[in-house]
Amino acid sequence: MFEPGSGDGNEGVPGGADDETPPHIASDFYLWLWYSSEVGRGQIDVADESPFTWWVDDRLSFRSAGEDKVNAVLTGENPSTTPEARAALAGGKVLRDVRLALRRDDREYAVTLRGSNVAVAGAKIPAQLKTGDTTEIVLERMFLYEELHWMIGMMFRKFGEARASAEWSPFADRMRTWAAGGPA
Amino acid sequence: MGALKGSISARRYQVLGELPPDFTPIYIDKLNDNAFRDALSAAHKEERLGWAQVHNLLDTDFSDSNLWLYQQYAVFSLRVDKKVLPATLFRATLEKRQQTWCKANNREKVPFSAKAELRETLELEMLAQTLPRVSIAEVVWNTREGWLLFHSHAEAQNDRFRKLFHRTFGFILRPFAPLDFVSDMPEVAARLMASGGTDLRPAHLGDDHV
Repeated sequence: MFEPGSGDGNEGVPGGADDETPPHIASDFYLWLWYSSEVGRGQIDVADESPFTWWVDDRLSFRSAGEDKVNAVLTGENPSTTPEARAALAGGKVLRDVRLALRRDDREYAVTLRGSNVAVAGAKIPAQLKTGDTTEIVLERMFLYEELHWMIGMMFRKFGEARASAEWSPFADRMRTWAAGGPA
Repeated sequence: MGALKGSISARRYQVLGELPPDFTPIYIDKLNDNAFRDALSAAHKEERLGWAQVHNLLDTDFSDSNLWLYQQYAVFSLRVDKKVLPATLFRATLEKRQQTWCKANNREKVPFSAKAELRETLELEMLAQTLPRVSIAEVVWNTREGWLLFHSHAEAQNDRFRKLFHRTFGFILRPFAPLDFVSDMPEVAARLMASGGTDLRPAHLGDDHV
């Protein structure tokens, strides 16, 4: 049992720096997000909740399999629809970061999901309150952050179910055809 | 940036442990005990760190909980100061001082002990004239649900933060990992861990890579 005040806070921390998620999981997640939004609707319907949609926004970055550093970045308007982006996949590169736009009801978000830990970076949330009561500002921002975190979680769960199923292999074949420039 | 305005770039942690009942007065003391303090000497060169209020990094008194506790959210900042001397200017100035010493003492070379003294004197002089490099990263802690956001992805900054957080509150922080999203689906998590990366090269139909 953990006792407050023991150690320096770094030893034996589960999920710490030495216990990172294997990088291929995040790369496959980003690939699934991209492909699903390109060829499908990029939408998740949740029972008793409003659905939300997502699409790749203005940035994709790639790494070589087995390496961590970024070796190709595509930016600008709709980089995910360019032949260069698909050629990177067909050439054996995998995704390291993806910038997404998300919409739920009338709320729009943008976020970069980065690296093997699916880190949240540069997240733009539709906060209305800029000045005034700090409590109101904090509560609004945290509500919106939590909604974003929830949407990322829902997408990851959907991806996880797909990746763990027997359907992934034929799904990967379709993505391979698409990456090579063929139909999705 | 991020806690009160602007975009959010933050690492999420789970806080392992339970808060004491009526924690506010206890944590006022803990935050004050570990608040940022200016160095007593202007020539101090070691890194200094501590908590500061989120509104202004110069405010380090947490006695008024209305300034850091907003319902269930504790909001404060980690401030880290470090003085760094301009290396090239330091080397050039030291060389000049060594030349002056040689002239004054009619010697060709500065002996080791005198060189060390010149170096130390110059270091103290320059440190006294140098402003620290100040970094600040915000913390938003949901005390009700046991998670927090630390608004920095820098590894060194996160290490400092986890250590100071533990020293202050006694809690270990566990970094959030994507597999936490499927913690209630252990079979999916296990299959994800066991899978390889999907290789979309045409020549590798059906193969995986990492």
